[in-house]
Formats: sequence, C-alpha cells, structure tokens
Amino acid sequence: MICGYARSAFTQANKGELSKTRPDDLAGAVVKELIQKSGIQTEDIEDLILGCAFPEGEQGMNLARNVVFLSGLPVSVGGVTVNRFCASSMQAIHQAAGSIISGSGELFIAGGVESMTRVPMPGFNPMLNPSLVDMDAYIGMGHTAENLAKKYSISRLEQEEMALRSHQKAFEAQSNGKFNDEIVTVDNIHLDGCIRPETNLETMAGLKPAFDTKGVVTAGTSSPLTDGASAVIVCSEDYAKSNNLEIMAYIRGMAISGCNPEIMGIGPVVSSIKALKRAGLDLKDIDIIEMNEAFAAQSLACVKELGVDMSKLNIHGGAIALGHPLGASGARITGKAASLLQTEGKRYALSTMCVGGGQGCATVLERV
Amino acid sequence: MKIEKVTVIGAGLMGSGIAAQVANAGLPVNLLDIVPDGAENKNVISQSAISRMLKPVKLGSPSQLMHPDNADFITAGNLEDDLDLISDSDLIIEVVLEKLEIKHDVFRKIEKYRKKSSIVTSNTSTIPRAQLIEGMPSSFGKDFFITHFFNPPRYLRLLEVVASKEVDNRKLDAIIDFCDVRLGKEVVVCNDTPGFIGNRIGMFWSLTAMVEAFKAGLTVEEADAIMGRPIGAPKTGVFALGDVVGLDLIPHVTESLSHNLSDDDKYNEGVKEQSELGIDSLLKEMVESGYTGRKGKGGFYRINSNNGNRVKESRDLKTGEYNPSIKSNLESINIAKKGLRALVEFDDKGGKYAWKVLSKTLSYAASLVPEITENIINVDNAMKNGFLWKKGPFQMLDDLGPSWFVSRLLEEGFEVPDLLNKVGDKKFYDENNDISLYFNIDGTYSEIEILEGHLSVKDIKRGQNPIFGNSSASLWNMGDEILLAEFHSKMNAMDPQIMEVLSEASSICESGDFKGLVIGNDGSNFSAGANLGLSSFVANVGAWDEAEKFVFGGQMAFMMLKHGNFPVVGASSGLAIGGGCEVLLACDSIQAHSESYIGLVEVGVGLVPAWGGCKEMITRWNNDPNQAKGPMASIVKIFQNIGTAKVATSAQEAKSLKFLNSEDGITMNRSRLLHDAKQKCLALIKDYSAPLPNEHNLPGPSGKATLDLAVSDLVKAGHATPHDVVVTEHLAYILTGGDTDPTVTVSDDKILEMEREGIMALMKTEKTMDRIEAMLTTGKPLRN
Repeated sequence: MICGYARSAFTQANKGELSKTRPDDLAGAVVKELIQKSGIQTEDIEDLILGCAFPEGEQGMNLARNVVFLSGLPVSVGGVTVNRFCASSMQAIHQAAGSIISGSGELFIAGGVESMTRVPMPGFNPMLNPSLVDMDAYIGMGHTAENLAKKYSISRLEQEEMALRSHQKAFEAQSNGKFNDEIVTVDNIHLDGCIRPETNLETMAGLKPAFDTKGVVTAGTSSPLTDGASAVIVCSEDYAKSNNLEIMAYIRGMAISGCNPEIMGIGPVVSSIKALKRAGLDLKDIDIIEMNEAFAAQSLACVKELGVDMSKLNIHGGAIALGHPLGASGARITGKAASLLQTEGKRYALSTMCVGGGQGCATVLERV
Repeated sequence: MKIEKVTVIGAGLMGSGIAAQVANAGLPVNLLDIVPDGAENKNVISQSAISRMLKPVKLGSPSQLMHPDNADFITAGNLEDDLDLISDSDLIIEVVLEKLEIKHDVFRKIEKYRKKSSIVTSNTSTIPRAQLIEGMPSSFGKDFFITHFFNPPRYLRLLEVVASKEVDNRKLDAIIDFCDVRLGKEVVVCNDTPGFIGNRIGMFWSLTAMVEAFKAGLTVEEADAIMGRPIGAPKTGVFALGDVVGLDLIPHVTESLSHNLSDDDKYNEGVKEQSELGIDSLLKEMVESGYTGRKGKGGFYRINSNNGNRVKESRDLKTGEYNPSIKSNLESINIAKKGLRALVEFDDKGGKYAWKVLSKTLSYAASLVPEITENIINVDNAMKNGFLWKKGPFQMLDDLGPSWFVSRLLEEGFEVPDLLNKVGDKKFYDENNDISLYFNIDGTYSEIEILEGHLSVKDIKRGQNPIFGNSSASLWNMGDEILLAEFHSKMNAMDPQIMEVLSEASSICESGDFKGLVIGNDGSNFSAGANLGLSSFVANVGAWDEAEKFVFGGQMAFMMLKHGNFPVVGASSGLAIGGGCEVLLACDSIQAHSESYIGLVEVGVGLVPAWGGCKEMITRWNNDPNQAKGPMASIVKIFQNIGTAKVATSAQEAKSLKFLNSEDGITMNRSRLLHDAKQKCLALIKDYSAPLPNEHNLPGPSGKATLDLAVSDLVKAGHATPHDVVVTEHLAYILTGGDTDPTVTVSDDKILEMEREGIMALMKTEKTMDRIEAMLTTGKPLRN
C-alpha cells in the first residue's frame, strides 16, 4: 500500500529554476522530506528503489544508493536504480509491491528523478545498434505521436483543446494550493514552472509542427522537457497498521504490456486492461484516472481506445502542463492518484503511462 | 596605477553598452541607476539593462555581451542604497542624462564615496569639460576626464578623451592605457571644444550632405548612393544613417552643438541654411507623425509589409509620399571606383553633389586643426573609427591632391583654410626612408609614432622585401627571429598559393633561420575559407586529380605547421571560417582578436572540413578534461557544431565551442593583435616541443547510426534538407571513425584520409556543386 507521496516542483529543463540542481541532490531532498513528513522509522526501510530513464553522468553510479546517503538514510538501507524509461518510477513502485508480496521486505521508498537539463536525452553516449535503427526500434517519440494521430484520426485542434484543458486544470489546482502538500521546497523552489496559464487556442494554433512538417503535433501538444523528482512510501498492510501510518491506498493491480515501438503511446491501453483485470475491476469502476500526457495525440488515442470518462482524467492537469521528467513521472501520477482518492473521497484509481520503445505500465489503487 | 574595478553610473543604452564592454574585458563592474518612482525593485533599471545585454541588439546580430557568462561580472545597483559600491572602484564612468545639474549632482555623490586614487570620467558628448568641473573641488578636477564612447561601444572603436592641464598625467596615461588595452578602443586625445572631433566633423558632414541634397533636388536614394561607399563612408550614406540614429535625436544634437559653437562657425551657417530649406520642419513633422527612423514607423526609408510582401520604400522629399525605392544608376557611382578625384570631377549630379559636400566638409576639417586637436592624425583616426569612414579627411585630401583642391576652392570663391595653404604642393602624409610622416601645423613633418604594443603588417613591411611570396601570401621578418605569414588573396581565401607559402614557412623555420611562425594579416577578415571559385572550376572541368592535390596539399601543409619543430601562432580577427578556421586549428596556439568569428562552415556549401578540421575538433573535445567522457559524448557536440555550420560570435564564444583552447589568448584591441601574437610565439619558443600525433577512441558504426537517425528526424521536422542528409552522412562517418570499434584507436592520418574521401565524394555530387555555385553568385547558402 501507499502511505506517503511527495515530489519536487517540476520546472522547465535548461531554463527552469532547478536546472542548476544536481538530480541526486534533488531526489535526496524529496526523499528526506517525505520520510520526515511520514514519521516512519528509517531503520525499517528495506530498500530505496529509484527510477531514472538516463542513469548516467550525475544520474549514474547507482543513483539510488547515492540518494540513500544524500537523504540521510541509514547505511543499512539498500538502493537500486531501475530503468523502464518513462515508467521507471512506476516500475519502482511495482518492484516494491512485488517484494512485499514475496515477503522480501515490509517498507520501501519508491521514486524517480530526471534532470533533463543535466543529463539530456538520449544520454551523453548514445550508441544505437544499426540493425535496430533499421527496425525503427529507436523511433523518435514525436513521430510515434504523429502515427497515433493518423491512426486514430485525431485532429490538431482536438489535441490543442486537450493541452489547453491540461494547462487550465493545472493552473486552477496551483492557484487553489492543491499542490502545496505534495511539493517539497528544494533550493527555495516550490512552484511548478511549466504551466502556461496565459496560453490559448490561438497561440497554440500558431505553432509549427515540431516533428514532421506535414504533421499535427506541436511543442504545445507535447509534454515539455522537465527537471523533477518524486517518491512514495510503499509498505505492507501489517507494517502500516502496527506503526499507525496513514494509509493512502492499497495497490490492487499492476501490469506491463508491450506494443509496436512506432505507436508506443498506445501502451496504456493493454496495460490498464491487464491491471484492471488483475484487480477484478472494470474501467467504469474507476473514479480517478492519472494518465501521463506524453503527447495529447497519444493520450487521446488511449482515451478513445479505452473509453475514458474525461471528467475523471488528470483532474489537476497532466504532463503537458506539469511537465514530464521521465524517471519521476510514474511515481508522481501514482502518488497523485492515491492522494486524490483521499482528497476527493473516492475509492478506485488508475495510474497508467506509455513507454518509449513500445510499452505500457499501469497500477490500480483502492482507498478503503 | 591599474584599473581593475569599474563603476558605470547610468544604465541607459550607452551606459549599459559601456558596462558590457568592461565585462567583456573580464573586469568586475557595478552598474548603478536611479530608483524609479514607486519601484518595488530598486535595481529594476540596471537589472533590466543587464538582461537586455544578453539579447541580440536586433534579430540575428550579436549581443552587447561577447558571452552570456560575462553578465556575472556586472553588479546591478541603485543610487540610493549602493553608492558605497563605488568606494573600491578605480574608475567611475558617468553616463547619465546630458543635463549639467543632474551630472553635478551625480559628481557630488561620486566625490563623497570614491577612493582618492580613483579616476572619474563623463561620457558627455555635448557639455564642455570646463563646465562639468565647475563648482567641484580641485581634487575632483585633477582626476576627471571626458571619455566619449561611440554607440555601440562593443563595435565602434573610437574613444575621445578630453583632459586638461590640471589633471594628473599618470591618471591620463592610465585611462588611455585602460581604454586601449582592456576595452580595445582607438583612443584619440582631443581638446575641450564642442562635439570634440568625431561629432564636430561628422555632424557637419551629415548636415551639409542633407542641405546639398535638398538644394540639388536629389532623391534620398541618389544622395545615399553617393554619400556612402563612393566617398568611403558606410553604405547608409546620410539619410539612412539618420534613420539608424533616430530622427527624433537629430534636432537635439544639432541644437546642442549649434548652441555651443559661435554664430559664425560654418556649422551654424549650415544650420541656418537647413532651416531656410525647411529641413528642420520636415524632421519635426516626420517625428510627430511617428516616422522616427528604424525604431519607429520608418524614416526616409521604410519597409512596407502590406499583403505579406516586404517592400523597401523611400520618402519623396518634396511630396512626403513613400514610393518603392529605386536603386540609383548615376554614372558617377561607377566612376568613383577610379578614385575620389574622378568622382568629384565627374559632370553629373552625383559628381557635383560629391564635390559640394566634400569641398565643404574637408575644408571645415582642415580649418579645425589645431583648434580641436593637436594634429591631423587624430582627426583621421576619429573619423575612421567613429564614423567608419575608410579614409580620414586628410587622407581624402591627399587622394584629391591638396593643391588641386585649393585651386578649385579659389576658383569657386571659397575661403582656403590656413593648413591647406601651408601644405601647398605637398601632401599631408609622406614617406621618407621608410618612415611614415605627417604634416604639422607649423609646416614641418613629424614621424607617425607607432604606439607601444601596436603592430600591423604595414609596419612590419616597411623597409623590407618579402622573404618569400606569391599573389596570395607572403612571408615577412617580424624581428626577434619570428616569421610572419601574411595572406593577401581576395577575402584571404585559401588557395594552393597560400599552401605553398605555408609550406615554405615551415621549411624556413625548420632550417633554423627563424624560430617561430605567426600567421596573421591586416585584413578585416583573417580568412573566409577555401577559394570556392577555384573548387567550382576544378570540379566543373572534372579535374579531380587537381582537386585531390589541393585537399591533400592543404593537409600536408597544415600537418607541417602542427608537427614541425617550431611554434606557430595564428592571429585571428573577423571571419576565420572553413579553411580559415582549419589553419588556425593547425597552429600550436591562437591569439584571437575579441571580435573573431570562427567556425567550420563547410556543410553550408555541401562539403565537410578536410584540412584536418574534423581531426582537430575530435582532439580538442576529447582532450578537454571537463567534457563528458565516452565514445560519443564529444562526437555529438562536434557533429552539431559542424553539421549546423556554427560560427562563434566572439573569441570568447569560440572558446566554448573549442575552436580556441583555454590557453589561447584574446586581444581586445585589433591594433595590438600582431604584437600579442608575436609575444605569444616568443614565449612558446622556450622549451618548445612539437605535439605528437594523436590516437582516438571513436564509436564506429553505432555512433554513425545514432547521428544518422538524429538527422533523419530533423529532415522530417523540416530542419534539414535531403542534401544535408548526404553531407552529414559523410561527416558522421568521419567523426565516428568510419568502420572502427570503440575498443581500438584511430590515428590522425586515418581521419585525414576519411576527410579526403568525404570531400571528394561530395564534390562529385550535383547538389554540392549547386550549393557552391549559389554561394559564389548570391553569397548565401543554398538549402537544397
């Protein structure tokens, strides 16, 4: 179950306020604050599982172990860095839950971090396998969004409307202090930096296609390059109860799925269906849906395919507005889903996301 | 005394420009301004000035700062809380409004906080020094100068300094030295007279040029076509210059100069005439209707972008209407190529106009020595560096012939200034036994002294024959056993003749007759790259052997520079692109003028660097201890820089792009470049050992696959063309080491071989030939 959630502010890569902050320091600050807030005994933590999509440079050298030290955890706590690209920190949660289920520990910190400023995509030493290049395995993310827009006949305007709603919802949530509880102040930064309250359909209509001159995907309908970190506390029911922790949500289902890399953005569809099935639920049972907005086209394709009720989707805004620091997004949307169950007084939540290379990852939560 | 810390008071356009140039020199500077009424942020004026410095003055042009990091040298402050910042400044420059009482108020504040040893200067252009120090204590007057900068301070080299008998001469020397060495200025000492030198003569010229254009009924295009290049002035001529300066400013500066001059000054006669012709009312009317020049709706020219088409229009001086500009086809514009005399003697309205304006302007200039400054050199330097004239008034008089000029003045009933009478049949400049002389007011000649630390090829050549040379380059003895290789081909483009001279230079140095080599010239551009006309010709006739010989010969010549047993220093200024960049990269060290624009631009013409440019960039990036490690980390950056033909906008930026090494030197004053390069070479001679060839770990096919994929994404996004794909595939192949594997090394020679293969293959493609052809005919890259 999830018993705590925190994140840093998400700010624009290269020009944002966190661009001068090392990612290990950033994750360390978030983990430290999360633990302090929760009141858990640090000696009880089995492992710190940290997701990161490009674990090299300042994110290298088994980042998770370094964050153990930087966040002041005792040396007895382990640290493992996991990589499933965009779903890395959701994978971290899954691994924590899996360990608990298998009896390999009771208390875990699962999170993720990405400084897209300091370790830019695709890392410092990208060396692609020429035969996989020919197979399109490394297809650029923007092009996968274009492919879905074409496949599902998603117009540019539909995408822009979704992006605009995302900014509006995020700005409203920000103005109403809805992020105050989750954001940890790091280097005096406590406000998300990617939200554009001033944007409108006219501005977005003026943007040039970002990936394909004849395409429909623009910078306005894509998630921005972002710096940020997030973390959740994952523990067993016994541990939570015997330590009087506030239980945010039970993890009821987890799933991974694969798909063609050319349409990687459709990944959430099968993974969500699988996770829901494992939880014994149907999508209509779900009250809160956090689906990572890598691209509006990609999200809309999943919405269409799954039949998502838009009123349940990303109610505090999605990644187009909030930003998408790759390794940190999975724990953000899952932690967010858990906290929304509480604040909105709902029962079931789904967090789900697509992954470059053609994968989907999903988690089903229940508040009891 | 040394000037190490500076405060600039006044963060307007000039103040911030001056502060930026101090920061460009690598010195800490405080930038203070007033607190606007009710401002929440008291430093708002200076802070926004600093953020403006980071932005280009206009789109596509460089910013006031030579590197964004230079902003860190500037401390923003305000005149309410931060005056104590002045206390450790060695130099305080006042750049506030041109109002005496405001300046006095600032001076009193400065005097209260400044340290005793400091120097105070004012950037006034209109207020006499005598008035500025009125009522101030004598200690202030002793340390006070006028330092008059020209806008923009980064680019315009003239700096007028006004001192007085009372000043401390060590401080005068210190301020001259500081402005010369650190800020890179051409310092001209002038007298405390209105408008000093530059504005006094420059404004007389522009006033006269407008008045005479009106009198002759010329169109603005005709007037500018004559008052620009044909007379050696920038192509903006007079009306377009007004648009650039701002038509709203002209009446103010005219008024203030006019006010400070006596009624019988020739300038005031022009002002009177201007008003009689209705020019001042025209300007007033234009300003009132928003036509303030380029910053407003337009001026004498405007860009009409109705219906999406951008059409340049000119104002009809009679009707006030705007019509599409018509390029002037006056015959005198062509005649001017034969010289100034041919222009003013030509019998069309252009020739007549040129004579009217120049006869008055040059007479005026001649009448002002020694009133405004002690000698004619100062006048010529001021006009060349402040108004970007090719030649100063006295050089122009020499071109016309002073005696001819005087006789024509007499013929037309004009007054002849004393100095012109004195010079008689002689000229203002002369040579005697290889010594350059100038004409004095007392009728004698004096030697033109070269300032210590200033050096030009012209100075070096005096009194010697080239040691070796051909039509494109020559070798000269720089003294102290240093050899100089000077390029003098058109645009200093690289050709086989230059390679021959460089090879000869290597042989001479290897033989021990000289101990080091400096490569530099007096041109405005170090070298604009390989001679494309030649490359195009060779390719068109299919003389592939010749082409390959040219490529291989260049590689050999550069390898001799690099690995010969003698140090080589490249002295760059202006453009050093393509092959011009590669010759610098082959040097042991570079002494760069701060305004050096260096880059490997070959892909723009469909080629890859093949004179070791790829090899050198790989070496430089991979040898940098601060660069991320791994087989691809450097290659990605190099690929981006060469693949986008990136040109550094300053020597400092060239360091970031690693065209310059961290030990390479930067000279702020162009006139000092060759001297500094020679000193650098002398320093290298001691304990010199030639660098050994390098071995490189390169990524091989995996790296190339990565780069190719990135380019194909750029093509889809519309940022790269189909032929870019062809060119960058060759570039990627070279940079990633061809068919290598990261576990083995690639030699310098192997990279050079791949460079040759790449450029030869590309030269044989039609689209590369189209790119070269387009560059030769239009001067712009073709995006095919």
